[in-house]
Amino acid sequence: MKKRFLAALLAATMAGCLLAGCGSPKDSSSDDSKEGSSQEVTLRFIDVSPSPERQKYYEGVFEKFEEETGVTVNYESVPWDDAADKLTVLGASGQLPDVITTHPLWLGQFTEADWILPIDEYVEEHGDEFVEAVKKINWAQEKERYGHVYSIPDGFMVKGIFYRKDWVEEIGYKIPTGKDWTYDAYFDLIKALTDKDKKQYGNSFRGARGAFDPLITYLQTYSGGYVYDEEGNFILNTPECVEALEKWCEIYKDGYVPQDSVNWGFVEMVDNFTGGLTGTISNDSEVAKACEEKMDPSQWGVLPMPVSTIDGKMMNTAGSPYSYTISKASEHPEEALALIDFLVRPDNNIEYCKMGGLIPIKNDVGDDAIYGEDGPYAVFQAELNDPNFTVPPMYGPFNYTDLHQDMFHTELQKYLLGQQSAEDVLNHIGTELTTRMKQYLADNEGAEIETPKTMQ
Amino acid sequence: MKKKIEPWLFLFPVLLILLLLFGYPLINSVIMAFQNYKLTAPNDIYFNGIENFKKLAGDPDSLMILKNSFIYVFVSVIGQFLLGLILALALKKRFRGRGLYQSVVFLPWAFSGFVVGLIFRWSFNGEYGVVNNLLAMLGLTDTNIAWLGTPGFSLAVVIIAMIWMGIPFFAIMILAALQSIPSDVYEAADVDGCGTMRQFFQITLPYIKPTLITTTLLRTIWIFNSLDLVVIITDGGPANTSQTLPAYMYSKAFGSYDFGFAAALGVLLMVILGVYALLFLKVTKYDKAGDF
Repeated sequence: MKKRFLAALLAATMAGCLLAGCGSPKDSSSDDSKEGSSQEVTLRFIDVSPSPERQKYYEGVFEKFEEETGVTVNYESVPWDDAADKLTVLGASGQLPDVITTHPLWLGQFTEADWILPIDEYVEEHGDEFVEAVKKINWAQEKERYGHVYSIPDGFMVKGIFYRKDWVEEIGYKIPTGKDWTYDAYFDLIKALTDKDKKQYGNSFRGARGAFDPLITYLQTYSGGYVYDEEGNFILNTPECVEALEKWCEIYKDGYVPQDSVNWGFVEMVDNFTGGLTGTISNDSEVAKACEEKMDPSQWGVLPMPVSTIDGKMMNTAGSPYSYTISKASEHPEEALALIDFLVRPDNNIEYCKMGGLIPIKNDVGDDAIYGEDGPYAVFQAELNDPNFTVPPMYGPFNYTDLHQDMFHTELQKYLLGQQSAEDVLNHIGTELTTRMKQYLADNEGAEIETPKTMQ
Repeated sequence: MKKKIEPWLFLFPVLLILLLLFGYPLINSVIMAFQNYKLTAPNDIYFNGIENFKKLAGDPDSLMILKNSFIYVFVSVIGQFLLGLILALALKKRFRGRGLYQSVVFLPWAFSGFVVGLIFRWSFNGEYGVVNNLLAMLGLTDTNIAWLGTPGFSLAVVIIAMIWMGIPFFAIMILAALQSIPSDVYEAADVDGCGTMRQFFQITLPYIKPTLITTTLLRTIWIFNSLDLVVIITDGGPANTSQTLPAYMYSKAFGSYDFGFAAALGVLLMVILGVYALLFLKVTKYDKAGDF
């Protein structure tokens, strides 16, 4: 009896959960589709990562768009967690909004299902306005994968080295540029900026979660950006890489960074840089937002990522959070394209990028205080046009969350604390990554090792 | 026979809740311990025998983490016990302002583990921490000690925090027991010419023994199970040197999303505590503790 009651109760609870789960993602979409046929054009726009800040931005831009063109745009949104499902449902039923914000990973599905329109003509006509990275990396990749160009990125997340301009000026240090701005030069800068009596350390060292991310970017300068050979063997454990890892950790072992930094993750790195304890921090452009909020403009600047001593390449990232694309179901594709063009117009794009510490995708940033020639973000813009700019692949196409959360930094910490050798670190991590990469290659027939993306 | 059903009927709602909220997760986690259950691969869950336990035995950090757990529990319990006992004895006698003093020293127990963790994390910060500052002012050290970045020290900080937080609980329990000892026993001892030390060991201690046993037993299990201070103060770092079993379990479950391995750690934790509870009760002859 007890068992049966229990079963009934469980069943009831589960049914309840199911109902609640299915109910939410279906509403809010089809309000305005009937008015489309009249003279006035109304576009639907869907944001897949809504926040009050983003909604305010989009509604503001849409208002301006209506003033200039007379086309009304309705803002719709779907929470990120449900976005992929909802867009799939909308796509399958031919109801996708005219303009969609998408994640780069979804383009495969969307193009295969034939839900979105190519924009090759637009690219041909307006391509020159965009930074090199958009053309040579994003669009080249789309063309290679899907045969056409389908989307325009919303902005770029690029890596750079943030530094204390005032400290450098104070000690009269001349930072090398161009080919001389190597990792060795970066380590020298860190050492020069350290002054423990003044409670100044050279760098926000990353010892905890994510510690391996900036390090692997450095190691990749020795392999042209590759992590694996063609058979899937980890190649970043060569003697040069071991030596590089030792140099990387020397700044910790020799006391040019706080000893506590063995426990530092992203938050501690940024807080201690903006708080004035450390002189440099190597990270994504989003850190600039924290610097703007907490520091005086005279205190900080940005340096490009150091280049390889072997081939002069600059290992970096060029991630775009989202991109804009046009639905094939749209009744007004021309207006939709005009809307995207309006969204990436320098003034609107700059406003958008400022929300998330992104770098604009067009070259014409004018004399904007931040992105303009004298602004702190100008370096990022220059990086995106640098012919040596290279986007190497990360750890691999398989799931490595568990390693990222644990093994990568634990192995490094053991070296920092003198519990194992630098060689051990790379061999342990390499063995694990090799196993996974080979498994991936075996499971996915025809899969190949990802190559670094260059601007050449 | 009918009469026997009645109590079960009254107990039924509670049993049901226990079964749902306690029994089900417990059994499920034991099952999970024998599964390849990774949240990162939700479509690839299957039974893998004792693979998780093998991994646990082969993990080079396992032994260190187990050792850390025992040090953490042992030192914390002893520290809390001794300091709590001293505090209780001090508070037994009436003095001016005792009420105020008592409420102040009992305060740590009212703090959440999260707050205590943050207080200690910042106090022992290598660059800005008040502890290094005090040590420097006292002339004991001239360099900043990276408390949380040095193996050994980092675990010590967690232990100090745990002791600080747990003293009041011991003190409250012991004080209550002390106050229940009838004063005529002491008077009789005085008349017989019994000294303070002897009074303490032959009257006070035996009287409060049941309380001491229960409190120690409870605290040992609680401390063994607690992970908040470890996670907040050091997050097990650096290189797992301040990791304890439950904190490691937490990091495996919610950091690496390896629920199978975390469940195996959970089973190990349960076995250790089960054995401990049985042994403790047997060794201290709990049943007879109250008889004199």
